[in-house]
Formats: sequence, C-alpha cells, structure tokens
Amino acid sequence: MSFLLFAAVVLAAYYLVPGKCQKYVLLIGNMVFYAVAGIEYIPFLAVTLLSTFYAAKAIGSIYVKEAALLSDCSDPAQKKQVKAQSKAKAKKYMLLALGISVALLVICKYSLFILKNVNKLVVLPFLDTFQMIVPLGVSFYTFMAIGYLLDIYWKRYQAEQSLVTYAVFLTYFPHVVQGPIDRFHEFKSQLPLQKKIVFQSDRLVKGAQLALWGLFKKLVIADRLGIFVSSVYDNYQDYYGVILVIATVLYSIQIYADFSGCIDIVSGVSEMFGIRLKKNFNHPYFSKTMPEFWRRWHISLGEWFKDYIYYPVSISSFVRKFKKKPKKKEHGEMIASSIPAIVVWLITGIWHGAAWNYVAWGIFHATLIVLGIVFDRMNQKIIERLHIKNNCFSWRLWQMSRTFVLCCIGRVFFRAASFNASVGIFQLMFSGLGLHFVTPGALPNYGLDWANLFLAVVAIIVLWVVDMLQEHMNIREKLAEQQWLFRWVIVLAGVFAVLIFGIYGPGYDASSFIYEQF
Amino acid sequence: MDELKQALKEAFPNIDFDHEEHLVDDGLLDSMSIVNIVSMIEDMFDVTVTMEYIQPMYFQSVQSMWEMIQELS
Repeated sequence: MSFLLFAAVVLAAYYLVPGKCQKYVLLIGNMVFYAVAGIEYIPFLAVTLLSTFYAAKAIGSIYVKEAALLSDCSDPAQKKQVKAQSKAKAKKYMLLALGISVALLVICKYSLFILKNVNKLVVLPFLDTFQMIVPLGVSFYTFMAIGYLLDIYWKRYQAEQSLVTYAVFLTYFPHVVQGPIDRFHEFKSQLPLQKKIVFQSDRLVKGAQLALWGLFKKLVIADRLGIFVSSVYDNYQDYYGVILVIATVLYSIQIYADFSGCIDIVSGVSEMFGIRLKKNFNHPYFSKTMPEFWRRWHISLGEWFKDYIYYPVSISSFVRKFKKKPKKKEHGEMIASSIPAIVVWLITGIWHGAAWNYVAWGIFHATLIVLGIVFDRMNQKIIERLHIKNNCFSWRLWQMSRTFVLCCIGRVFFRAASFNASVGIFQLMFSGLGLHFVTPGALPNYGLDWANLFLAVVAIIVLWVVDMLQEHMNIREKLAEQQWLFRWVIVLAGVFAVLIFGIYGPGYDASSFIYEQF
Repeated sequence: MDELKQALKEAFPNIDFDHEEHLVDDGLLDSMSIVNIVSMIEDMFDVTVTMEYIQPMYFQSVQSMWEMIQELS
C-alpha cells in the first residue's frame, strides 16, 4: 500500500509540473524510491548505469565516425577495413561495460553461493561473518542495461545522449524491482521528452483497474494459497503422498497470481504515467507445449534471453561447427539446436537464484526442451500413424494438462528450500497416498479454515474465467463500453474483495513478492 | 529471390511465403526457425549473417530476407 501511496504522490507532481520537468519528476521519484529501499544499493546501480551509458555513447561515436569514413571511400576492401577497425574499437567498450555489469551482478548475487561451495573444498574462516549487499532489482536492471548496451553495439539503435533519460529508464520505480525487463528504445518513445504528457482521467481509471486486478490476484489468491503452501513445504518431512502434490499444484497457482499480480500492479501504475510496460504474461497455463509456456510466462525475460543469449550462441562459430561435423545432417541440426537451449536454461536457472535447486530447475527445463527437439519428428510420425486428431478440444486439453504437470514438476525445485529438500519432496510424494493428510480434520494444520479454502477456490475460478475471457477479448476495453453503473459495480466489487478478503495483519507482508528475491 | 523462396517453401511447407509479410509478428517463424533460416541463407549465398541482422524486420517476408542478403553481399 505504501508503494501505491508513493506512486500517487509522484503522479500528482508529474501532472502538476510543466512538460519539460516531467522526466525530472520521474527521476527524483525513482531516486527516492531506491534510496528508501536501501541507500547502500545506490553505488551499485550507479556503476552499472554510468558504465553502460558512457560505453554505449562511445560506441555510438565510433559508428558515427565509421559512417563518415565509409561515405568518403569507394574501395570495397578499404570499406571492409574501416568496418573491421571500428568494430574492434566498439568491442572493447562493449566488453568493458559488459564485464563491469556482469561482475557486479555476480559479486552481489553469487559470491556467497560461490564461497559456500569453495568452503566445502577449502575451509574459509571468514565465511561465517561474510555478508554481501544484494541491491534491489539487481538482476532486472542489469539485464535492462546489458540489453541497451548490446543494442547499440549491434547497431540496432543510436546511442542515447541524455544521461537523465537513460537514468529514468534504468531506475524507473515501477519496473526496477521485479521487471518487466523493458527495452530502452521502446520505453524512451513513451517518455515526455518533446511534449508534456497531459492528465487524462481515462488513463488513470484504466491503470487503476489493472492495478486493482493485480491486488486481487496478489492479496486474495497468492497470499492465501501461500499460507497453505508454506505450511506444507516448510515442514515437508512431516508429510507424504497426495498433500505434497496438492501443495505443488497450489504453489503453481500461487506463483502465477503473485508474479502476474505484481506485474499488473506496476503496469497499472505505469499506465497512469502514460508509459506502457512490456507485456509479461499471456495466460501461460493455457499453453499446449513447454516452449509455448515459456513464450507466455515472464515474456520479457524470455525475449531477453532469446535476443541476447540464444541468438548469439546459435549463430556462433562454435555451434555452427556442430552443424557440419556429424555424418547425418539432421543430427548436426539437433545438436546445434540443443546447445543454445541448454545454455539459455542453465543461465535462466542461475539468474533466478544462487542455489543448486535453481540450477536443477534450469537443467530440468533444458532437458524438456532438448527432448522436444530430439523427438519432434518421431512425435509427429506417431500422431500421423495413430490418426490422432490434433485439432480438437480433447487433444488441446490433454496438451494443456501435460504442460501444466511438467511445469508443476519443475516448481518443486523452484519452491523447495534447497536441492536436497526438492529431492526429499519428490521421494515423499511417491512414498504413499497419505490420504489422512487431506481429510477435513487435517485442514487446520495448513493454516486455512473451510471459509478461506472456499474463498481461495472461488477466487481461482474467477482468475481462470478472466484469463479465459482475456484470451479472446480486452476486458478493460469491454468494461469501458458498459453503462457507468455496471462499471462501478464491478470496480467496487473488486475494491471490497481486496479490502475484505485480502490477507493482512501480523505475519503477512503484502508488499513481499516472490520474484522480488530474484 | 526465387531460389530463396523455393528453399524456404521446402523447409517450411506449411507457410505461405508468397503472401505472408509478417512472418515473425504473426508467430509463423519462431526463434529456432530463424536460426535455421540463417544457416540456410549462409549456405546458399555464401554470406555471414551477423547479430546486426538478427532482428524481426529482416525476417518478416521473403522480400526483407532478400534485402538483407543484398546488404550482406
């Protein structure tokens, strides 16, 4: 709630000042937000911000000079030489800024993990007292900065000349904590740089509606399910069988409601400023395959990995070699397609956290993707031979269910406190049915009474119906077309649902989101 | 360009390369397909597709791919 109050104050100032001052209001708001979160975080953010900005600017200057030289020469060999020289110079700046940003991310986020593992081989006496500052949103802003730097290096855009504009982008308070991982040039085109973004009540209403829906998902669904999931997962040794399966399924719903709820809140707030953030979710649990799931879940991260890791690895000379080596061409293509997927998934796992369970989660998904590549043709042949109708509802339902189950298996690694805990949970899951854990009498053990359980089920159904509708229509646009009385009934129902059925009180932190820790 | 179009039709028989002009935006080409097309272009036209060209705008249609090849060569 303090986030929304803070946003309201910045929003008021934003619309009161003249147009040329609006970006400064955003910058000051961002700085205050970040300083309140932790003043000690600022130097880390500043180093990433300044190094990527000035390196990109230097690269931009090199390319401007290159263009001037190329226009003066007509000899192709000379042109090639000019290009090679400027590329080499630009590469130095790119590598320097990339190295600084990645080093800071690794030091802040992974040094403790690395030292703990080194300590298993060589005893490190200082480890007990070792503490590392993990700046707020370090994984998110570092990726945004690297994306910008590489876009300039690969000549996709021209380098930004205004440090203030770039700083507004990198520190923008709605996306700095949990994303989405925005792209600078999409973001900049929406900033009030040339003319003032004037106040529009329509924009405010639509933004508030989206934020309200996000609050519903977070406070009514995610936090309620979180009580159940935590009580089982935090004491997993006390359970076995079906209760662990139920907790895992509920965790899959919890993390979706939590993360997409957060994104809806920040996107709604950002819309009020006239800035649309990147879309981060597209109803992922309706996906028919795992690759489709990852195109619908945390979209901005998936696109980032595709553009800045998958493609460079795929077209690298190392991977290209595999296409030519094997005797059978299709084997070479399989290997060449699998390597980038493995690299992307290992990094995705590590990006989520410095722990072996996240690495295992990454390996699990890499394995699924590689198996999908390897058995793709065989799969198609089986479908043809068995004359399976693959364009009917029942087949789609089977595909969606299969994807959800695979996703839930991965979630065990994701939610467990450690890799050993995830292995233990899998073992206990198949150690018996454990039906006595799911009798009505056992319900109080999980922190939810019947009323809360009923409420959770109703709220999940509401979420599912809304997601289904959103697959085919823009609900906010449709709502805007309705009579004012109907609109207000819906909005007030949402407000009361959040206020009455949201999880509040001691022991619950409504501002704590799962993806914040990444 | 006809040679490229023919090769694309053989590799992706379900895509209408004669008329489609938003192959990436319409989701007809995914990242793996783009990587395969890059390999195909490099083998057929003896060019090296660098990261500067791995952008949706260069893969939206046969025409845009052909323009990229012209730039590269």
